[in-house]
Parts: sequence; structure tokens; C-alpha cells
Amino acid sequence: MEDLIQTLAKFGLYLDTYLTSLSADFLNHKKRIFIGYLAISTVMAVVFLCAWRGLGIRGAVGKVFDKKIFWSKSAKADYFIYAINRIISILISPYLIAQGVVTTFLFFQLSKQNVVGFQSLDHWPSLLIITFYTLAYFFMDDLSKYIVHRCMHSWQFLWAFHKVHHSAETMTPITVYRVHPVESIIYGLRGSIVIGAVIGTFAYCFGIDNFSLATLLGVNLFSFIFNVAGANLRHSHIEIAYWPWLEKIFISPAQHQLHHSIENKHFNKNYGAMLAVWDWLFGSLHFSETGEKLKFGLRPTEASSTNIVQIYLRPFIDVYRLLKNSGKKLILLSNSLKFLVRSVGKD
Amino acid sequence: MISHRLTASALAICVSATALTAHHFYGPYPVTLKSYSGDKTNSVSYGGQIARQAMEQSLKKLASTGNGGGNAADVEAQMMQYFSGPTKDLAILSPASKDGFKIKQTTIGELSSSANLEGKFYKGLMPAWPGNHTGVDVMKDMISRAAKSNKGFDAENGYDYAQLISKFTMGAVQYSQAVDNYLDEKMTADVKPNDMPYKEGKHYTGKEHSWDEGFGYFGAPTHTLAITPAAAYDIAKRKDMASADRNGDGVVDLKSEMVFGPAYYAAAFDKSGNTNYLASIMQAYIDGRKVISGAQGEKLSATELAVIKSHAGTIEENWEKVLAEAVFKYAGSVYKDIAAMKENGVDDKSYRKYVKHWGELAGFSMAIQSGRKNLGAAAVEMNKLIGFGPVTADNSYVTGVDGNGNFVRDRKMTWSDYQLNMLKIQKLVSDTFGVKSRANDMLDELAKVSAAADADTNAETD
Repeated sequence: MEDLIQTLAKFGLYLDTYLTSLSADFLNHKKRIFIGYLAISTVMAVVFLCAWRGLGIRGAVGKVFDKKIFWSKSAKADYFIYAINRIISILISPYLIAQGVVTTFLFFQLSKQNVVGFQSLDHWPSLLIITFYTLAYFFMDDLSKYIVHRCMHSWQFLWAFHKVHHSAETMTPITVYRVHPVESIIYGLRGSIVIGAVIGTFAYCFGIDNFSLATLLGVNLFSFIFNVAGANLRHSHIEIAYWPWLEKIFISPAQHQLHHSIENKHFNKNYGAMLAVWDWLFGSLHFSETGEKLKFGLRPTEASSTNIVQIYLRPFIDVYRLLKNSGKKLILLSNSLKFLVRSVGKD
Repeated sequence: MISHRLTASALAICVSATALTAHHFYGPYPVTLKSYSGDKTNSVSYGGQIARQAMEQSLKKLASTGNGGGNAADVEAQMMQYFSGPTKDLAILSPASKDGFKIKQTTIGELSSSANLEGKFYKGLMPAWPGNHTGVDVMKDMISRAAKSNKGFDAENGYDYAQLISKFTMGAVQYSQAVDNYLDEKMTADVKPNDMPYKEGKHYTGKEHSWDEGFGYFGAPTHTLAITPAAAYDIAKRKDMASADRNGDGVVDLKSEMVFGPAYYAAAFDKSGNTNYLASIMQAYIDGRKVISGAQGEKLSATELAVIKSHAGTIEENWEKVLAEAVFKYAGSVYKDIAAMKENGVDDKSYRKYVKHWGELAGFSMAIQSGRKNLGAAAVEMNKLIGFGPVTADNSYVTGVDGNGNFVRDRKMTWSDYQLNMLKIQKLVSDTFGVKSRANDMLDELAKVSAAADADTNAETD
């Protein structure tokens, strides 16, 4: 009886944590889908449709909240995935590497070298330290996102998981959560390692409590600007584009929508998160094409946009097949080498 | 119906109170020695250990009475008497009665007629102090230097002798004697057997008294399990008469109702809520003693000895952690003190506080090295990071002693580098001993800075 009560209490606690987590991101102004940012994105979309597309207010609002988009089968799958991923996140988050561990590790690794001393730069003016830290944080964060994202598209083992995100046939702000848990883990690790390393380096050079991020309303300055500037619209059907010169610096919503396009010519373009500079530098930049109606998603043979079981399990099957093929190739290579060695031996 | 319920409740309370009495107090335990025919009924005795607790605290008090050299000979002579004896007629300088906290004993002789500290002091090498001395010689050196100092404070070299002497003794006598003698050799089959008196004419067996002496060195009151760590902490500070005076006779009996150094630090860390050192150690002492009493004056069997060794292991493990927590805590204090001096400049007050904390750090570091275990590379590393002395106001620090016994300070270190050493000590102690209370955790500050950056925000993918 006592065991049953304890089990029920535990379940109740998990349920409470889960229900809270479902709404948490909507109420957390550090998250992209914070209701405030969603509201700003909505206003931006309406203004854009009225001013640049010539729609009336009613028409613009109708297009923004298009039922065909928000209640499409693909969007419903997004909502379902969001709800399932919350559970998975609660279960696996305690086992993920903590950013603090990376920070501490790097800090003590740095202490082993004799070139730069602990706190040797702590005499810098605090404004300069904050600026330097905020920029280093932003650039390292954004560059690492670019690299990981590019790897997700280039390596078949990673693409098997990342294609879950690309299987969305209609896009809403919630599509940002249409991510396979394995991809979430990889992105989480990226954050822990890169940000942990930046913080470890700064803590060593400037002192443990001698630096902080420039923030606005308690949010990282660049995240705040990104979210206020309509980050939610990149996963939407509102194709806001920038001037070409600006699209070389920042990824516009339309550029990211193009990244989701099913067209071959749009494949492997615009990996950038906030900055387009990385795409520009490394040859993956594609300007937006607003005159063209984009079709999102993947071919049905590659991934399902709505079948939840397939969405979660198919990546593992794909990885298994890839491993099997790699194994076969390895055996073939090994046999060829053996044959070659034997042939040389005979000669 | 209600009265029935009340009666049942009262009965339940009585039953649990009886259970508490039986299981939660250290003693009294019956006389089991078969050859004893006297009228004593309680076999518990550890007056010598409590006397040494009082000597250690009194020595700390005396270490602060020097006037810079004028009274050095007198102070040294007094300190040496508390250290080497004879101690029978010496006053207990600390803990002493104060308003609202009356202590039963006023002289060492009321606790023990012949105990001293020197005879029980750690005699192994103590490489943490300059001069390559044994533990006991380090202590004599500290006493001599304390007597010549101004109120125990040596600003030039950065020493607070009251802290060094007190904390080192807590390890070199109490911890060392308990874990490396009474709970170690004396708990083996052939040493101090349970079917013989501890000494000719005594009413307790060899094992009973050995275990009791081990308990006395911990410095916890017999009713420790009936009070909270916060209350135990306040008893040591002489602030909680009600919790101390278990028998309600209006005075605190140092033999059974007072909290001394080792138990005080266990309680202090337990107050954080992350640890349970005090109760774990106390329970192990009680459980071990019950096994010995249960043998009814017969030789302990191999099984009984194994159980006792297991309780001794629990005591040692937790006690070692308490000392490690203290090293961890004071490394954090030293780090913070340096940060404050860098921020606001070095003045007498801030420097004094820094030297006090360093004394506690070094003292506890020496204490943890005085136990049964050879800490090996961890001890070498700890000594290297702490150094023979702290970085002083001119950034020099003690590197050794010259032929005349004067401290040599021929090297310098920046405040920042010494702060880094403190962080390394916290990491070393954390990795080696698995501390959980983690007072003044500067590593956590590092993790907090990291957490503040909130990696979750960056987990969003595109």
C-alpha cells in the first residue's frame, strides 16, 4: 500500500512537472516561442502583408492565422511531437553533460599552461569585458550552430535524424520543436561544449565573477534582438525577405524557408541560425526568392510528415541500414586488401 | 472514545520515548567484566579524552596571549604545561562558564588526573610545516612561535597560531588517536581483549574502554541523536543551555553534555542540510558499543569484530570527510578574502581575517594528514598548493626555515595565482574525498556563471 502511494505520488510529481513544462517555454522570455515574441512576430507579419503585399488588415490577419497551415496534418504532427518531446526531455535531461562540467574542465586545463595567468586580464574596463564576452559568446554560439547544422545535412547518420525537422510540410513557430530527440541531444551537447568553453576561458582570463553577458530584460542581447526581430517567422508561411546586402549578414525568414524547400536547387543552403555570414564565407548562401511559392518537406520515400511512429523510429532504421551498408563495404574493402596482399606475396 | 485514543497516543509516545532512550544515547552501558566484583554499574569512561578536548581549546586560548615577545617565556611555559603536563591542577580556560551557560568542571583534574596532549600527539612526519619535523615537533615549534607573537598573530609571515594549533591538534590528537589507534589496532582480536580489564583493577573491559576512548575523542554529547545539528553547533558556542543540559541539573557536564571540536565541525557542515556526518558517526559509535556490551564480557568473535570494524570504518570515513569539508571551506574563504583585498585594498582588518582563515585551512590540512591513511599524492599536492605560509602583503611567502630557525620568504606569488591554488585545492578535495556540504564553494560559482548563460536557450535548432 505504501509502495502504491509512493508510486502515485511520484507519478503525480512527474505529471505536474510535465504539465508545467508544456507551457513553460511560452512563458519564458528566454525562449523563442515566448508569447511576447509570438505577438511581435504576428504584428510584423500583418504589417508586412499590408505594406508590402497590399493586403487589407482582415486579409493579412486571415493569412497569418491560416487554418490550412495551423491545422494541417503536418502542423498537428508538430504539436504532438512537441508534447512527446517534453516527456523525453524530462526523462533524459538529468543524464546529459552539464555545461558547468565543461566550463570547470576547460578552466583547469587552462591553468596548466604558463602563458596566460589566472585573472591576468581582470584589469580590463568592465564595459570592454562585457562587450568582448557578449560578442565571443554570440559568434561562437552562432558559428557552432552553423557547423553542426551543416554536418546534419552532410553526414547521412545525422541527416537520418535531422530530416525529421525537414519533413514538415507546413511551418508554424512550433516547427522549431519538430526535432528528433537525438538531434536535441546533439544540439544540447553543442551548447554545453561551446558555451562551456567560452565561459571557462573567460573565467580563467578575467576572473570567475568578473564578466557577464550584455542583456536586455535579462535576456542575452543578441537572442533578444533575434527573437524581437521576428525569429518565429522563419518557421512560417510569411516570406519576409531582406535586402541582398543584409541577407549576406543576417538570415532572413524567407532565406530559412528556402532552406526547408523541397526543390533540389535549394538543398544544402542557408544553414545559418542568426548570421548569414557563415553561409556567405563557406559557400552555402542563397538569397531569398520571394516571387516563387516554396513547397516545404521531403519526398514521402524519405520521411513521413505525419506518421508519429515513423517520425521517431525511422531514423534508427535508417542508421541501422547505413551501418549495415558500411559494414558490407568494409568487408569488401578488407577482402580486396587481402587479395591484393596475397597477389603481391605470390609475385 | 476520545479518551481511548488519548491513552493509546500517550502509550505510543511512551513506547517511542523508551525506544529513543534505549537506542539513541551513548551509555550508560552495564559492567560486563566477569572478574569485576565492585559496585560500579556503568562501564563507560572517557574522561581523559574530554580532558584533552579541554586542553586543546585552552591551548588555543593561550596561543593568543603573547605580547610580541615580552612575556614569551611565561606564555610558552604555560602552553607547554597544557601540552605536556602535568595538567591535573590546570584551569580549563575554554570552554568556560558564561551567563546562561554554566559548566560543571573548572579544572582539568576534574576530568582526568594524568592526561596530556603530547603523549597522544601524531608522531609521523608532517611535511606541511617547514623544517621537516614530526607532528609533535611541529606543534612544539608552533607553541614556541605563538608565545613570541603578538596575540598569536604573525603578520610578517602570515600565521595565526591559535588557529593552526587548534585545528592541527584536532587531527593530530583526536582524529589520529580515534581512527589510527582506538578504533584500529585496539579493535583487533589480541589487543585489549574483551574478557580482560582494560588495565588491572578497572571495571571495564579492554574493548569497552578502547571504544569509549575513541568516542571521547569525537567530542559529542551522549544525547547527540536527540538534538539537531544546529543545537549541537549552538552548544559548542555556549548558546544553548537547554539542549546541552540533558539531565536538567543546571550545569553542563563536559564529560557527557558538551560539544567539542570534531563534533562541532560535523554539526556545522550538517547544518547545510547536505550531509549527515554528526548522526552517522554518533550512530556508528552507539552501534559498535552495543556489540561490545552484547558480548557480555566474553572475547569478541570474528563476526563481532568484523561488525565493529565496519562501524569504525563508518566513523573514519565520515570524520575524514568532515576534515576535508573544512579544508574545502577555508580554501574558499581564503579565495574570497583575497578577492576582497584586491577589490578594496589590503588593510589590517582584512589581512587579519585572511591570515585567520589561512590558519584554519593549513591546520585542517595538517589534521587530515594525521590520520590512519596515507593520503599519498593528494597530500603532496595539497601541501604544494597551500604552501608553508600564505602569500603575504608584499606577495612573498614562507618557503622554509634557515639554520637559526627563522622563516625564509624568498619567493613571491601574485594574489591571483594564489587564488588559483585555492580553486585547485577545492577541486582536489572534492575529487579525493567527495565532499557534499561544500561551504564557500568557488567551483560552484564557476558552474553558476555557466548556468546563468543558460545553455537551454541555445538548444533550439533550425
